[in-house]
Amino acid sequence: MERGKLWPGSVVALLLVYLFLPIAATLLFSFAKQWQSELLPDAYTLAWYKQIFTDVRFLEAIGRSVFIGVVSVALSLLVLVPAIFVLAVYFPKWERAMQAAALLPFAFPPVVSAIGLMKLYSSGPLPITGTPWILIGVYLTIVQPYIYQSVRGSLRTIRAGELVEAAEMLGAGRWTAFRRVILPNILPGTMVAALLSFSIIFGEFVMAKMLVGGEYETVQMYLYNEMKSTGQTASAVVIAYFALILVLSGLTLKLGRWKPGRGRRQTQRRNRHELRSDRERAEGLSAAAGAEPGPY
Amino acid sequence: MRKAYQQQPVLNRVHIEIGEGELVTLLGPSGCGKSTLLRAIAGLTSIDEGSIEIGGRDVTALPPKARQVGMVFQSYALFPNMTVFENIAFGLKMDGMKRADYTPLVEEMIGIIALEGMEDRYPAQLSGGQQQRVALGRALVKRPKVLLLDEPLSALDAQIRRSLRGEIRAIQRKLRMTTVFVTHDQEEALTISDRIIVMNRGGIEQEGAPEDIYAAPATEFVSRFIGSYNVWERTRLSDAGLAGWPPGELFAVRPEAIVIRPASEEPAGAESSCIVVSGRVGSISILGSIKRFEVDAGALGTVTVDALHDAHSRRLQEAADVKLYIPREACSPLRKSS
Repeated sequence: MERGKLWPGSVVALLLVYLFLPIAATLLFSFAKQWQSELLPDAYTLAWYKQIFTDVRFLEAIGRSVFIGVVSVALSLLVLVPAIFVLAVYFPKWERAMQAAALLPFAFPPVVSAIGLMKLYSSGPLPITGTPWILIGVYLTIVQPYIYQSVRGSLRTIRAGELVEAAEMLGAGRWTAFRRVILPNILPGTMVAALLSFSIIFGEFVMAKMLVGGEYETVQMYLYNEMKSTGQTASAVVIAYFALILVLSGLTLKLGRWKPGRGRRQTQRRNRHELRSDRERAEGLSAAAGAEPGPY
Repeated sequence: MRKAYQQQPVLNRVHIEIGEGELVTLLGPSGCGKSTLLRAIAGLTSIDEGSIEIGGRDVTALPPKARQVGMVFQSYALFPNMTVFENIAFGLKMDGMKRADYTPLVEEMIGIIALEGMEDRYPAQLSGGQQQRVALGRALVKRPKVLLLDEPLSALDAQIRRSLRGEIRAIQRKLRMTTVFVTHDQEEALTISDRIIVMNRGGIEQEGAPEDIYAAPATEFVSRFIGSYNVWERTRLSDAGLAGWPPGELFAVRPEAIVIRPASEEPAGAESSCIVVSGRVGSISILGSIKRFEVDAGALGTVTVDALHDAHSRRLQEAADVKLYIPREACSPLRKSS
């Protein structure tokens, strides 16, 4: 038994060391006063963190990254979720086209599409190269595959087509069916896709560097510029970034396991209570009118 | 009513009429068009030709919600984000009813489907049978003119299926609900229906009361689908040198109508009313209270015979030589399947 567990255990341990060693080193480096030739730093400090978090440039860069990420994700959800729903439920034969479109962003290396975009948008009717708007436009296409896969998967899991039919048979219009029946049930999957997309956008470098460059400093650009000066502030940035992504990933995992209903029980019970008193009132009213309480 | 899909007819000149308060079953193998017919009544599928009337009103061009029909889906299609109460209340809410008005109706329905105390549960917290009741209650609470059930029991295990089938029938009778029930299970169709419509390849093979369908199948398809009937053509019978059959080209004989005895025995008085065939037992299988014999009867081919577990059948082993006594009145003539 022991021998059987030892082997896979050590492989996992080795893998974890391999994955976390660079991060651990970066973490140490970000806390080190100095770290030259010793195995471990001889003194520790929070100075580097203090430095970046009091640096207006860094805080502004975070603000820009968050702005770009939130706007891009919000726009892509707004456009894609209804589109994917309509395709899946009402026009299933067009889904192949959507699937192909969802693969396209992987077919073009970022550098290639960046050069094309730069040329196209540096002049002409829409000269937006160098502004955040071109980044938002590009990020819409980059996150589209992730949102498509996740939302499509959620729709399939809940059998969206049948739910819509059931809702329509019960008198709901298409929009009501989408809003009251479909949306609440695909929300967890959609939120996972949104967080994942945000993480991707937050860490994206090639497009940010090539299309906007120094004119609009995002977190990645700030990190790039810092690496050229002090290694330790750059490490602090990396660790701060890593902590944020860790929180986002944790949220993503938690949401991925979320099921409708759980955690809502308290409110439900309260609602039922209200319902009961409503019912008593209704019965009181009909009794007063001398009528039967119901048609059955 | 007609419906074609990529030039393949799915429904081929189907005409049915359903009386008020009647439970009619559409029975047939998968792909026979029964579900398409049901969806056409519901308004979820359009038809190419013909019309649909409910209570004297032409609903052919109306959307599902304007037809006053309720439907229970095979997969129930309950709303996972809503409780039992909210699921059942959904349709009434969509009609613009106030909470105070629909609450007594929903609670009444929860009583009818016997789910008191589970109002606050979510579908994922219910068993398959309970989910099915919620789906039924959700469709019934709006008091539809017609209730459509699309293989509502096929996802449940045998025991729950049997008890729920009885309950559906009881509720349907109590509310005098006009109901169309789709199934591919002949036993289910025979037990639950006022009338059965047997469908095959987009057409109607036979319609009638369960006992008529079972006792007097009209076509070869029905006789094979409803029971394990033996179906023989007249040419094969004359090849086998058998005479004395009623007129007709095709005959069906129920396996339990045939008497099987060891070849050495001569039951008195049977010869005159029966056709006697010699054969040898091929295989024996036990089907609960009866034993099924597959008998190799020479030119007649393999004959299926059902017998009770009694002293006679216990003596018969595989490869035993037997005589089959086929009563003449048990041979029902069939018309060819369309």
